[in-house]
Amino acid sequence: MTYIVRTKQLTRAYMGKEVVSNVNINIKPGEIYGMLGPNGAGKTTVMKMITNLIKPTAGEIEIFGERLTDTSYRQLGRMGTIIEHPIFYDKLTARENLDLHCEYMGYHNKKSIDKALELVNLQGIDHKAVKEFSMGMKQRLGIARAIMTKPELLILDEPINGLDPLGIKELRDLFKMLCKQYGITILISSHILGEIELIADTIAVMNDGKLLQEVTMEHIVQQTSEYIEITTNDCSKAAYVLEHHLNISNVRITDEGQVRIYDSRIPQSELMKTLVLHDVAIEAVHKKKGSLEDYFLSILNGGGIVA
Amino acid sequence: MLKLMKLEMRKFRIGGYVWGAIVANILILGFIFLISFTTEFKEELPFNSYDMVFSVIDTFVRATYIVFASVLISRLIIDEYRSKSITVLFMYPINRKKLIAAKLLIVVLFTLVADIVANLFVGLGFYILNLSVSVIPEPLTGAIAVQLILKFMMSALATSFLSLIPLYFGMRKHSIAATIVSSLIVVGIICQNVNGFTLYSIIAVPIGFALLGAGIAYMAIRNIEHVDVLK
Repeated sequence: MTYIVRTKQLTRAYMGKEVVSNVNINIKPGEIYGMLGPNGAGKTTVMKMITNLIKPTAGEIEIFGERLTDTSYRQLGRMGTIIEHPIFYDKLTARENLDLHCEYMGYHNKKSIDKALELVNLQGIDHKAVKEFSMGMKQRLGIARAIMTKPELLILDEPINGLDPLGIKELRDLFKMLCKQYGITILISSHILGEIELIADTIAVMNDGKLLQEVTMEHIVQQTSEYIEITTNDCSKAAYVLEHHLNISNVRITDEGQVRIYDSRIPQSELMKTLVLHDVAIEAVHKKKGSLEDYFLSILNGGGIVA
Repeated sequence: MLKLMKLEMRKFRIGGYVWGAIVANILILGFIFLISFTTEFKEELPFNSYDMVFSVIDTFVRATYIVFASVLISRLIIDEYRSKSITVLFMYPINRKKLIAAKLLIVVLFTLVADIVANLFVGLGFYILNLSVSVIPEPLTGAIAVQLILKFMMSALATSFLSLIPLYFGMRKHSIAATIVSSLIVVGIICQNVNGFTLYSIIAVPIGFALLGAGIAYMAIRNIEHVDVLK
């Protein structure tokens, strides 16, 4: 199996309006896959379709190498989920909720309840009904419930909502640990770029129901690496000189008449000297670093990729 | 299925409803005593035979447990949709048809058992009362007793299924109010008792309503796998 989750042209419409259109996502085993997008981008709808809570209007979903159908119950047993916000039987205590979850999942290792509560740092709440919990506590309990049966795929919709900065860090570390130590594949969504970039291996950027880009973090880091920007009146000549006399092929000419050099092997002074020697007039030189935020904003604004 | 039913009962703490049923039975018994001794009632509902008394008892019990069943439906099904906990339940690796069937079966069995127990309890209570204060002069022979028991058993069976009718109205907008109000309307239709005559005693009525209840339950389960859990 190459992918844990794959969707092909996944589409969902409500009363003729598509809230998710033609989404193709590919989640590899053992990775943290982040879905990034503003509120209303369709992230939750995609997750609901993957968990069979709502049905696609068109397209198909493949999970664990099998096509998801209306009766794919077995696949559900291999997932742990929080969709929207965690929901419990809130007149019962946390332990009663987790115990019921074990029973329904057919998971009989009751020790995992304590282990899960410990992992999310939720202790001493044994006799409290869940309705008395704060939003953050419910979020932690939801994560405990999702991970306690050691699922192969963890689906977390905005899991850090309602948590304080310390709690966010704790959980981020927990997700990374689950992924690395237990090999759990995680699909996580957020509208906060800073959160996704810290955790994800692959990022899917969604907006307005469409998947704008699916890209690995590695690729993004490369795209946003340092470069030297030279402003000159003869860009093509500059590019020619760089390519033929300095063997630099990683050069790009921008629309604004600037040459960008993504090759850090050759020192700036050397570049200048060679260009001047070949009669390229240089107006300005800058050393720049593309920011991740610019990168995503440019995708969201439909302006193509920066750098 | 038994396990699913047990889990449901644990989840909704069915014990509280058993207590509720016990209290309801005592109230019905009290009401029957009241009718036995109040002259105004005697004109409207003359207790002149066991058949008559048991018909009144059964009507009260039926009315009570139809409404009781609608409360159970609200709690076990409608409330799961309202609180969205149904999304948790439907993400388990268990057939959704079975999950809903387990809930409906609890409602049906609870109503069946509670209806029979209530008839026996109130009937026995009245019998004991009648031993000391003779309300009805005729003796309760074995033949009459068997006939009465058979009658309310059949009635309970029909009641347990027709008590699912409110499910249809409740599920339309996931409304608890609609569930309970519709149960009151059902009670209004089939629990009139005029001089011992009830619509319910026309055999086609309980059977028809029971079939309607069973049909509604079937409709609720039939399509459950193919539709969105919540809009």
